[in-house]
Amino acid sequence: MIRREVAVAGIGQTEYGKALPGTAWDLAIEAAARALADAGIDPADVDGMCRFAPPFETVSEPMLVRALGIRELTFFAEAPLGGEALGAVIAHGAAAITAGLARVVLVYRAISQSKGGRFGRADRGGPAGLAGAGQAGAAADVVVAEEENRSFAWPYGLMSPGQLFALWARRYASVYGLSDEDLTRALGSIAITQRRYANANPAAMMRDRKLDWETYRNARMISEPLRLFDLCLENDGACALVLTSAAMARTLRDDPVYVLSATQTLSPYREPMGIYTDDLIELFPPAAAERLFDGAGLASGDIDVAEFYDATSFMPLRSLESYGFVPDGQAWRYVADVGTGPDSPLPVNTHGGHLSEAYLHGMNGVLEAVRQLRGTACNQVAGAETALVGAPAGSAVILAR
Amino acid sequence: MAIIPAFTELTRPYWESARAGRLVVQQCRSCGRIWHPPLPACPHCHGTGIGWREVSGGGTVYSYTVVRHATHAALADRVPYVIAIVQLAEGPRIVTGITGCAPSDVRAGMPVRVRFDAVTEEVTLPYFEPAPGD
Repeated sequence: MIRREVAVAGIGQTEYGKALPGTAWDLAIEAAARALADAGIDPADVDGMCRFAPPFETVSEPMLVRALGIRELTFFAEAPLGGEALGAVIAHGAAAITAGLARVVLVYRAISQSKGGRFGRADRGGPAGLAGAGQAGAAADVVVAEEENRSFAWPYGLMSPGQLFALWARRYASVYGLSDEDLTRALGSIAITQRRYANANPAAMMRDRKLDWETYRNARMISEPLRLFDLCLENDGACALVLTSAAMARTLRDDPVYVLSATQTLSPYREPMGIYTDDLIELFPPAAAERLFDGAGLASGDIDVAEFYDATSFMPLRSLESYGFVPDGQAWRYVADVGTGPDSPLPVNTHGGHLSEAYLHGMNGVLEAVRQLRGTACNQVAGAETALVGAPAGSAVILAR
Repeated sequence: MAIIPAFTELTRPYWESARAGRLVVQQCRSCGRIWHPPLPACPHCHGTGIGWREVSGGGTVYSYTVVRHATHAALADRVPYVIAIVQLAEGPRIVTGITGCAPSDVRAGMPVRVRFDAVTEEVTLPYFEPAPGD
């Protein structure tokens, strides 16, 4: 049982931007050093490391061990499947600490889409960091290697996460009987609400860019029903956090944030980019949500703030239902009528999310949850004691003061 | 510039059948069940005797998206185009495209039938178009 045995002792991040000067390695070092400084821990004393598996995370454990002068790692683990790794890296780190395999676990995610692959371009790195895919000359055919059924999808032009989630969003609309206007209202409500949060967040890439309904609706359609502002940002940046035992965290700071539960899940075709699921509706399987809340000893009504993974605006919409905050098929009305803003029952993506703060594969959502629970967030939810950080496909974390 | 699948031992029969104008899915020789995309063993009875069965080519649009922004240089001349997940009459779903109608005419639940489009000398892709009479 992880509940309250492990805590976040420190968090750190770099600037977020379209094209930062440093490499992903530079960014990882900066975020890690800040997280360790925030925790009051000498980098030499890090003995555990958890990261997103390649090809997503390009900064390896040896690169960071060397650069940070870490004495010796006694535990390190990698979690696969992109965003699905978010709950896993914390679950693995927490498990290592409770099992006595490590005392200080550094978790990090560094992204340089300006120098590496752009997630929204299959010919410039691609969603899975497929460097070289489709980089043949103009006259040559693009040959798609078979990997995870990609050779059955790419020839039809299904190559990016945005297109896949457009298929999810359309399926949601047809199952619950939404008109195009209903869906636009729902997705736009999320995009605009998150932008307002970002406008008050100095770290957000979109801090100075307002988004109103006219701009949202008039933005170009990318992959129907998703418009430009329904899709996440592409950027450079890094996030890191330090996990320790709860007892150690209390010696380091007055406001440790405890890990209540962290989940990882995999069922057939339930991986984040899986297309052939039974239903194309269960973004977060009900059984995983049940484990998440049971592990935390909480119910959805106990959560004060949520940071949902948002590669597209559809994901927070459906996440409200998947985690049980709103009944199935009602979130589209809920986000338009009740909303997810500062005064709503459940503020969502209070940093601006991937849509408007930056895209850090969910790690910036974890850092925002920690700030909310410390009481230091820009868009502070008064008295927040519990936070849920959601990732796709059954991966999530519940944190608490 | 076509975007074409590399053939593997597992996937070659699918693509060679498409080139011959036949849409096929895998079928377990032990329990008779069918599925797509291909797997090395039956996910139901774990039999390793796997064959290929031709399907009717009829189905319905399970979900779709009209893509208006090219995410690959090879798609620049193709937008707007329709990506669809089609539920075959026999059950399995496949990722495909819808042609033979305006993108704006595609609807979820729409009956469609397979058509075969040769994109290179070696590769033919199964696409779908509105079913006749619909």
